Amino acid sequence: MTICEDIQPRLGDLVDGTLDAVDCDAVAAHVRGCNRCAGLVRDFEELRRAAQGLGPIDPPAHVWLEIAGQLRQATPQPAAAAAPSARGAAVWQWAGLAAALVVITTGAYVFLRLERAAPAKPPTPAADSATGSVQVFADELTEAMTHYEKAIAELEVITKTNNGSLDPTLAAALQKNLLVIDGAIAESRTAFTRDPTSLPARDSLLEALQRKVSVLQETVALMNEIRKGDQAGAAQVAAGLQKKS
Amino acid sequence: MPSSNPKNRVVAQHGDMALAERCRAGAPGAFDELYRTHAPRLFGLACRLVGRPEADDLLQEIFLSAHRKLDQYRGDSALGTWLFRLATNLCVDHLRSRGTKWARLTDALVDDPAGVAPATGSVMGAVDRLDLERALTGLPDGCRTVFVLHDVEGFEHHEIGMLLGIADGTSKSQLHKARLRLREALSTGRRPAREVGLKRP
Repeated sequence: MTICEDIQPRLGDLVDGTLDAVDCDAVAAHVRGCNRCAGLVRDFEELRRAAQGLGPIDPPAHVWLEIAGQLRQATPQPAAAAAPSARGAAVWQWAGLAAALVVITTGAYVFLRLERAAPAKPPTPAADSATGSVQVFADELTEAMTHYEKAIAELEVITKTNNGSLDPTLAAALQKNLLVIDGAIAESRTAFTRDPTSLPARDSLLEALQRKVSVLQETVALMNEIRKGDQAGAAQVAAGLQKKS
Repeated sequence: MPSSNPKNRVVAQHGDMALAERCRAGAPGAFDELYRTHAPRLFGLACRLVGRPEADDLLQEIFLSAHRKLDQYRGDSALGTWLFRLATNLCVDHLRSRGTKWARLTDALVDDPAGVAPATGSVMGAVDRLDLERALTGLPDGCRTVFVLHDVEGFEHHEIGMLLGIADGTSKSQLHKARLRLREALSTGRRPAREVGLKRP
């Protein structure tokens, strides 16, 4: 074995600074006089520098949607267990959804602000104040709807891209269900546009949007189970989806 | 990497425990926060260890596993460290499940032709990040794993040994092998012309 072959396995330690003082002096002395080993050291140092520059990588949005969908299925729905009032149930559903979808996390915050900003009573004679409050309410609702619509758009892209993986009968049933929900969204939107102070119209619109997100989200989860070849998981998700239809 | 200031570290771990508690209690937005904070680093690890097409599914598996195992987190280390260990184990399990025997991944350096005849002098020049990412995909699983943990993530050989269940010496020899192979792959003579500033004919 030549001196170089003996030294080379320790060049990495030299670059990493993990040689003891005696070895470090001996290896460094060899490197100073050996062009071949000096070249290796320079290249190892450059590799280390480049490797340290490899940072985190943002995962694609669908990964979180699929995780959230699976967690949502695995977690008991609090509304069913406690049977609270309709408003309480809506708040619970909001909370569950906010936990489930990263794209509408900000939407949950906006909704909570909406709950505070909503005119609890009919407008009073203090017209200026009421008008301002209604405007804030409408603006914040628009913001919440934007977040829902963004979530729906992202989920629709995923479901359309993978549509071929679904059983045609189930795909048709889902499509029919989504059309019904779209009809409910359109009706609620019209009612809300007609009377922006109407809490029932607002709740109805948000509920319809939430329902669409929920169905799309579970569709994504189902496609994921099918892609993984998990028939039991797919059957479980499909059963949940059929209940919603 | 966790803060080196002990006071900051204590505060950070207190925050980690609080977040873990909120996740365990199913608090709205808590698991989302955990994901947003740690997913990019873990996704980078998964992409480099198992490759991009499989990293998406593996990241899901990492976080679903974390959700199931959060009860086991006691705050002895940073939550990021706990998650990183979990992610590394899942990545290694995944590599093993590909059918390649881990023993084969940790072959001795002397068996590898790349370890015998390094070129004369420096052969690389400055290495571009994308070129390095691409070259990493050409490494055998074992030495790629050690290179990523050591040179990218900053772990010591004894920590890698514990994570992968191999001896410190094996970790060192795998790293040396990885560096030699990368050096060869990234040598200016082998890179496409645009990457070394040369004009195509």
